[in-house]
Amino acid sequence: MSWGRRWIFRGAGIALLVAGTAFARTQLPERPATESGDLFVPQPEVARLASLGYRNLVSDYYWLQALQVVGGSAQNPSAHAPLIGRLIDVVTTLDPWVDHPYRFAALWMTDSAESVRKADALLDRGIEHHPDEWRNFFYQGFNRFFYLDEDERAADSLEAATRLPGSPAYLPRLVAKLRAGEGGLDASAAMLEELVRESDDPYARAEYEKALDEIETERRARTLDAARDEFRRRHGRDIVRVEELAEGPDAVLESLPPELHGFEWVLSPEDGRIVSSWYGARYEPLFHASARTEREQMLRGGAAGSSRTESR
Amino acid sequence: MISIPAIGTLAANTMREAIRSKVLYTLLFFAVLLIGTGVLLSTLTYVEGERILQSVGLAAIRLFGAAIAIFIGIGLIHREVERRTIYTILSKPISRGEFLLGKYLGLVATIWLQVLVMGLAFAAVSLLAGAPLGIGHAQALGLAAIELAVVVAFSTLFSSFTTPMLAALFTTGLYALGHLSRDLRDLGSHSDVETVRLVASGLHRVLPDLESFNLTTQALHALPVPGSEVVFAGLYGVGYSAILLVLAVLIFERRDFK
Repeated sequence: MSWGRRWIFRGAGIALLVAGTAFARTQLPERPATESGDLFVPQPEVARLASLGYRNLVSDYYWLQALQVVGGSAQNPSAHAPLIGRLIDVVTTLDPWVDHPYRFAALWMTDSAESVRKADALLDRGIEHHPDEWRNFFYQGFNRFFYLDEDERAADSLEAATRLPGSPAYLPRLVAKLRAGEGGLDASAAMLEELVRESDDPYARAEYEKALDEIETERRARTLDAARDEFRRRHGRDIVRVEELAEGPDAVLESLPPELHGFEWVLSPEDGRIVSSWYGARYEPLFHASARTEREQMLRGGAAGSSRTESR
Repeated sequence: MISIPAIGTLAANTMREAIRSKVLYTLLFFAVLLIGTGVLLSTLTYVEGERILQSVGLAAIRLFGAAIAIFIGIGLIHREVERRTIYTILSKPISRGEFLLGKYLGLVATIWLQVLVMGLAFAAVSLLAGAPLGIGHAQALGLAAIELAVVVAFSTLFSSFTTPMLAALFTTGLYALGHLSRDLRDLGSHSDVETVRLVASGLHRVLPDLESFNLTTQALHALPVPGSEVVFAGLYGVGYSAILLVLAVLIFERRDFK
């Protein structure tokens, strides 16, 4: 065989090998590691020992993994809260001076009271290492108020934030409201607006804006509730359709407040309350309307979690 | 009496020889590549990207610096014996101690030159990415250089009496242990058994405390580091290396090359 021919055969063989390998690669399913359960998260102390002086590098690796978990599950990142909790625990054990991961945990670890409390503990670690960072106190206060219904403890955190440079001017008023037991929609909205302002995370901002949207929807629904009461008083009967509130010569309202998403106001077939057909349920200060059942389970789990903690 | 010019000549020759090593350039290439890769990794996060970039850069310098120290250091004596050039050198008016010291200093100079190159690449990437650079980074790089001098002292010690393979294993093992010695002490201190506590504490004192040269966290988060900490870490590194070299000389002087 001539020299040229030999090389042609060799070249063809290599090309075949490359093509075959590439073909096999294309046939492999493209599943994120987090979905297939491949993500190994060591115990924080083990990770610290195994990092052999490269703690910052290993910490950054797990931080990027945490981001991938959230980014790879855009529909419901909080479903991965336990995994996120383990990852951020490793990240902050290896490098407790990191800043954002503490608030990242506070944002995404909201699937259960247990997760929220774990994020609360992580924020304590963040506060220990960044005592002048008002945002850690603020996130802690928000979670305690919004998810745990612990107004007093929330007020404690927010009060600590008020003493730090850079904290918003309205915080003392918010603290006073919480101390007086007047949380409700205004407090939720004020905190959420601040979170939207200061958040660097586009996913987080979208979540907060969604919650703000629900609060605004709730405000309008409450206007309709008041009008409904007035309708009952005037007509001695309840409405059959929400539109009745703005119909006829003796209409209670000139017009219905627009539904934020261009949908309409309807009577809920479940409980008869006026709801936006976009959400299908009413907003509760503590519970996201679209996941009320889950939140109820969360509170039940939280109570169990507390008793477990006490028993320890 | 130690002959400084002889040591200087040996060190310069060692450096020239080491600089010709392909392993050195391969490792240096990958180090610089990894420092650059930090830019890509930092884009995976929406916050603290500059810190990640510098974290990867500093880790690359320390990791590849250690790899160069181990892989070049372990063959330090072996190559001379294998090529029989050691007989020519030692037939001249030069002691075995001077020979070993010259070799060590030549390799340390080579590695420090690599640290300088990697440090410049790190600074360039940081500046291009807009990441802050401060005295903390200089302190971290300075102590990383001292740490590498200790690692070279270990590889010199082991290469003075054993094969390159075993020297690599021993040096790598001690590098790992050196980063765990504080944990070893802490773990031991929690023991209820007095002997375990004493042994753990003793090991911590004998093993190199390489974590004392690690200022990466402080540099990345601009945490203040007292000047005395840097000075004492430097003195500790120089002293520890000197002890290892004395041991190496004592062993090397008794070694039979037949």
